[in-house]
Amino acid sequence: MSSEHLGERLSALVDGELGPDEHERALIHLAKCEPCRFEADMTRRLKRRLHGLDEPEPDLDFMGRLSALDGRSERDGQSPFPPPFGDGGFGAGPPLGSSRPLGGFPGYPGGLGGGPIAADVPGTAPPAPGGPQPTAEEPGERSRSEFLAQLLTPFPGGRYAIAGAAVVTALLGTAFVAGGEAEDTPVVEPRLADFAVEHAVTSRHAPVGAPPADQETRPAGGAEQTSR
Amino acid sequence: MSTEDPSSRPRRSAPVVLLVVTVLCVLLLASATHPGANQVPAEGADDGMTVLRSAAEAEGETHYAAVRRVTGPDGRPASLRVANHPDRGIVFAPVASEDEPFVVEASQALESLDDRLLEMLRDTYRVVDAGRTEIDGRPARLVEAVRADGTVAGRFWVDTGSGLLVGRTAYGRDGGAALSMNLTDLEMVEGEWPERASTGQPWGEALDAREREDLRSEGWELREHLTWDLRLVDARSTRYEGRKVVHAVYSDGLAQISLFLQRGKLGTDHSSIPSGGYVGTEQGGTGISPGHDTLFGDDVGQYRTMWQADGFVFTVLADAPADLATSAVTALPSPEGPGFWDRVERGLDRMGPL
Repeated sequence: MSSEHLGERLSALVDGELGPDEHERALIHLAKCEPCRFEADMTRRLKRRLHGLDEPEPDLDFMGRLSALDGRSERDGQSPFPPPFGDGGFGAGPPLGSSRPLGGFPGYPGGLGGGPIAADVPGTAPPAPGGPQPTAEEPGERSRSEFLAQLLTPFPGGRYAIAGAAVVTALLGTAFVAGGEAEDTPVVEPRLADFAVEHAVTSRHAPVGAPPADQETRPAGGAEQTSR
Repeated sequence: MSTEDPSSRPRRSAPVVLLVVTVLCVLLLASATHPGANQVPAEGADDGMTVLRSAAEAEGETHYAAVRRVTGPDGRPASLRVANHPDRGIVFAPVASEDEPFVVEASQALESLDDRLLEMLRDTYRVVDAGRTEIDGRPARLVEAVRADGTVAGRFWVDTGSGLLVGRTAYGRDGGAALSMNLTDLEMVEGEWPERASTGQPWGEALDAREREDLRSEGWELREHLTWDLRLVDARSTRYEGRKVVHAVYSDGLAQISLFLQRGKLGTDHSSIPSGGYVGTEQGGTGISPGHDTLFGDDVGQYRTMWQADGFVFTVLADAPADLATSAVTALPSPEGPGFWDRVERGLDRMGPL
């Protein structure tokens, strides 16, 4: 064993999974082998760093929706939707991120943009070795989410109101565009004098007002209709 | 702490509820009496139609000359000299003036229009032979057109000797005479036919039912009825500068309302105030408003107005009582306003049910 490096047993050593004999032999090897000692040291540091990370936090908006579902279920006695986390209810299942990604797997029908929502949640990406310490959430983003959550939580129909306002705005805009005049609409000037003559003929009266300017005066008695 | 039995509260409020229900029922019954309940054709025997048909036949067979006096709602008459030539037409010449006469040439179209006007009169009113009377000292037969509510909408005087229609009056809803015509100085002679005259015939292109339907499908407001008592009795078209103009005649049998339709819009410099001494039907009316607040009329009971709506220009000329002319105009699309909401409303109308 002294001529061979520890290899996979090194991680077992760090995790404390070796038996007493194996553990003793591994320690003796580390005392003699500089590369294995260095690797064991790095593995321990990495393990400590992983243990020091915060648990991933779910998106506040998502949590708000879950809470609304949970509240409605309590009010109505039964939920119109199946329990999102099995029969045990929220919190009884495995921790978020340990199962199927929210929104579906990439390429699955119904997936959101082909990528899991969890991948977008700040703080859930695995840290790169030696990289900067990840932050759970940017302060500005968190404040916006909290503001929206506080704004909408007191009004369960808030989202519907916003959606309705958007629909009304779109409808008014469409109607405004549709109500415009067509560019090819001709400008006409009603020929009132001609209309008066036509009206006088059908009503058997003399036309009111001046005779039409373009009305041809001709010998009476002809059967030919005056050209207009 | 109150000792009142909570269960007694509904019983105490029961009279209030009963009172509210009663009031609502009364309001419902009151609203059921629609103000237009009398706006239905009058039922009954139309025994006066025989007299009027005979008068129409006499008009097509008798030469005569007379003075036609037309009186509007203000009571001031305007006179014209008329000469009827059954085979050629009727001549209108100004009295005591050298102005050129106007000739309405006889045509089959006008004869059939007369028939439809009589049918419309019969369908709308109860046409009653009111018996013998006199007009201008001549014996005559009086025929009355009676509304469903019993009020008189029009009267006709038919000369007993000649069988000619020598007088007619249309009455408004208020009972006042709105438009009157009577013939004086009646002579059974062949009047003078003018050497030169302005002439008129109905536009040559009559629109049948299928053509009217085609126009409606293209957006033309060519309705068969404007109101319950104004039915389309004639529709014709002509062309100005290659563009179609439709003339629709609506009538209740007593009055005639001409609607001229053109596709297009009025120019921005269009003068909305008609010339020829027209005044508003309302007190102080000095111009055509964007709405139909003012309908212009002259002193012989003729009204005119024009506006644009839905890509068309509407022009209405009416020989009718003011209330009938107003109901016809308001039955048509409202004038377009230039504002934001007018445009939105117009767009919603065009979009139809979504």
